Amino acid sequence: MSSDPAQPQSFEDNLRPHSHDGIHEFDKRLPNWWLLTLYGAIAFAIAYWFVHYESNLVLPDGERVTREMQRIEAEKLTKLVAMLNDDNLWQMSQNPEFVSKGAETYKSTCASCHGNDLRGRDGDAKLVGVNLADTGWIHGGNPTQVFATVKNGVSGPGMPAWGPVLGDTRIAQVVAYVMNQHKRGEEIVAVVSPYAK
Amino acid sequence: MSAARPTLDSVTTINADGSRRFLHPADTRGRWTTARRMVAWVLIAIYVLLPWIPIGGFPAVFLDVAERRFHLFGWTIASQELWLLFFFITGLGFTLFFVTALLGRVWCGWACPQTVFLEYVFRTIERAIEGDAPARRRLDVAPWDNAKVLKRVAKHALFVLVSAFITHLLLAYFVSLPRLYAMITSAPTAHWGAFLFVVVASGLLYFNFAWFREQLCIVICPYGRLQSALIDDHSLVVGYDAKRGEPRRGTSGATDTGDCVDCLRCVQVCPTGIDIRQGLQLECLACTACIDACDDVMLRLKKPRGLIRYDSLTNFAGGRTRWIRPRTILYALLLAIGSAVTLAVFSNVKPVAFATMRMPGGAYFVDGDAVRNQLLVRLTNKTNAARRFTLSLVDAPAALQSTGTGESIEVAPMDEGLHTVIVRMPRAAYTGKFRFKIAVRDEAGGYTLEREAEFLGPDPKLLSEDYWREKPAQ
Repeated sequence: MSSDPAQPQSFEDNLRPHSHDGIHEFDKRLPNWWLLTLYGAIAFAIAYWFVHYESNLVLPDGERVTREMQRIEAEKLTKLVAMLNDDNLWQMSQNPEFVSKGAETYKSTCASCHGNDLRGRDGDAKLVGVNLADTGWIHGGNPTQVFATVKNGVSGPGMPAWGPVLGDTRIAQVVAYVMNQHKRGEEIVAVVSPYAK
Repeated sequence: MSAARPTLDSVTTINADGSRRFLHPADTRGRWTTARRMVAWVLIAIYVLLPWIPIGGFPAVFLDVAERRFHLFGWTIASQELWLLFFFITGLGFTLFFVTALLGRVWCGWACPQTVFLEYVFRTIERAIEGDAPARRRLDVAPWDNAKVLKRVAKHALFVLVSAFITHLLLAYFVSLPRLYAMITSAPTAHWGAFLFVVVASGLLYFNFAWFREQLCIVICPYGRLQSALIDDHSLVVGYDAKRGEPRRGTSGATDTGDCVDCLRCVQVCPTGIDIRQGLQLECLACTACIDACDDVMLRLKKPRGLIRYDSLTNFAGGRTRWIRPRTILYALLLAIGSAVTLAVFSNVKPVAFATMRMPGGAYFVDGDAVRNQLLVRLTNKTNAARRFTLSLVDAPAALQSTGTGESIEVAPMDEGLHTVIVRMPRAAYTGKFRFKIAVRDEAGGYTLEREAEFLGPDPKLLSEDYWREKPAQ
């Protein structure tokens, strides 16, 4: 089959020299639009190489990611600093929306230890959390101190660090809900943890 | 164009120098033309209307990428359920295999958006403005006088408009119409991503339908390349009955000519520029235009229709089409298995995702009189309505106390709820670590899901040896 007799003579000039199982290949010109995409891709590759590797027009990818991450972190920190002072947290504790959102989070994540009434083991002996409704505070009773306790946790008795789970905003809401049960300027009594060894 | 006869050795639409030969397929009329037009209009209507029809509070088809929820005819799939797509897409694949093995390229000729939009929107516009095929061919070579400029500007303006409309509608499938309207009426700077998508996609569509056309099917589309593997001699194709037609009229030395009068109507109407009488070819989209064109001529010659018709290669060669053959049985079997599995997994999808994990901090805690484990339950409500759940312990020792279980937990629609569960084992009852289960009951759904959990603690000996009593427990 390598020399197909049915093959028109006039095409033999255009045939490539190779043949597989009697299958020949014509040597035809590629469509111009196809060649245009090829040349376009070559031009793009050269331009891309120049812009990304030879010029300083565009930062390397890794650098861009790092900068963007730093920008996001800076923004978060700015927000946190703006949020994190006693004045703000006391103000949040008087805002019904903050308090109701904090109450929702409290109910689902905190109440299992500190009780629905915030009184913890004082209200129900089965519960393990300390009383959040009284004036006694183990790790400080200012809103910022409470915020830090919720965010970072207390390793000994088992208060988890809620920072990575809830995030700053939801923690602030929970603190607003807790502080809503207190009055600004009320007595803060430093007490020792019932779990202290 | 009508002077040039297509050959099997080159692509009609590409000249020897690589330039494009622009086709102007002639109009057809007949039963296939009518049927195909009706199917196309139904398909276009479906495409245009789906985003407007609300089912269960969402558009009939709304692939909400921003929220990662996919609403299909009142059924919502959360992004967690995307693995189901595996079954859906392989199912589509098997369907395509099966249909192609039986009926050939019906998809290409009848349902592919490329065909539907090109033939029934863009070529319709072109036909209305520039006239029939000979008129269009004359216009191509005519000098650029006012009339030609006017026609071309009008045609391309309409093409751009229609392309933009199709693209906007496509975007509506992903962002919903109200959001699309908000984007249309606000500055592009407010939504660069969507704006660029619409501009680029409209540009591509315009280029494709105004100029590229059949090149996409011939050179780019992978489905066309798969044909040779999916079709066999018993599959339905559009073909020419050489036994009846040959020798065609005008063949030198032939005394008794066949039915083909070599009028070239089949070539003139072909949207990819082939001569179907040269046999099944890669370019053929099975669009049936040549069937109607030939039937028209045969009727006028008072000869039976069907010199070009839907049939299998076997039948054209004088044999009999076998519909049931190993290939169709295999594809049908694959399709049946795929459908059964798809049905099973789709019907078993629960509207809630449920996971338990240990709370960060410590594996266990030992306080005054008990060993304590702290667990976090994550409940994801995948539905459009708020749902209530109750947690409970299953297969747990009677002495195990828990807080956080028993009460009703509400999770907002499409939201995630975290819930703390504290389990305490009195020291007296503690005999080492053990396994138990946490169950969540969907209060409305009536089903219960269970997850295994492990209660961890110290070696019980450490607790019994008055280990802690040395130091005051308080």
